[in-house]
Amino acid sequence: MAGPTTDVTTAAAADDPAVGLRAIRALRELADRLEVLQVGNARGRGWSWQQIAEALGVTRQAVHKKHARSRKDD
Amino acid sequence: MFERFTQEARRVVVGAQGEARELRAEKIEPVHLLLALTEDDGRGGAALRACGVDHESARSAVARAGSPLDADALAAFGIDLEQVRAAAEAAFGPGALEQSRPEPGGHIPFADGSKRALEESLRAVLRRGRRRGGAIDSGHVLLGVLAVADPLVQRVLADLGVAPGSLEGQLGDSSAA
Repeated sequence: MAGPTTDVTTAAAADDPAVGLRAIRALRELADRLEVLQVGNARGRGWSWQQIAEALGVTRQAVHKKHARSRKDD
Repeated sequence: MFERFTQEARRVVVGAQGEARELRAEKIEPVHLLLALTEDDGRGGAALRACGVDHESARSAVARAGSPLDADALAAFGIDLEQVRAAAEAAFGPGALEQSRPEPGGHIPFADGSKRALEESLRAVLRRGRRRGGAIDSGHVLLGVLAVADPLVQRVLADLGVAPGSLEGQLGDSSAA
């Protein structure tokens, strides 16, 4: 049983797939939510989809498809 | 059954829809009724405020209690979810991490727990006789929410340090539950 102070490498290099995959899923969910907040903030400050896409390292189409629908300004 | 609801009780029900929508919930859960009650001007809202529960503190408690974000798994990466949440809320407001889920479209149905809570609110009126003309006010809605003992509502109230019994006491209904 791992305690709350589990070493970082425990999850990153866990050889139990159940532990490693659960950690990846949690990380992805958190990253997705933070991305929505940050993209919304960027749009609110007048950033273009192109600028946001470049900052995220993805195509403009990808970021627009993912975020434009949930925002009312597009 | 809504014809028996007072205007304020109807506003709570409508407000619960708004809470569910803002929190990107798929259904209107009892906890959304609770959040709407914190903004109620009637007996229900007054009882909550007398116990120190306001909309902002309740929203934060819901965020802490109801999040499907996996704090234990994140801790294994050395990420403290509470720190991330606090930073997100400082920048973007209470419940920011919860509101950043994709928005559900269209009509939001009542969850079974909310239907039962509204039925229980009617029972709370019947228990007290006709002193209020048999109408369901926001106090009865709060009693109904407490009566169904929804796990999330219980966690939120516990987080805020409020015993359901003290809310019922505020409403003069210590016989409930």
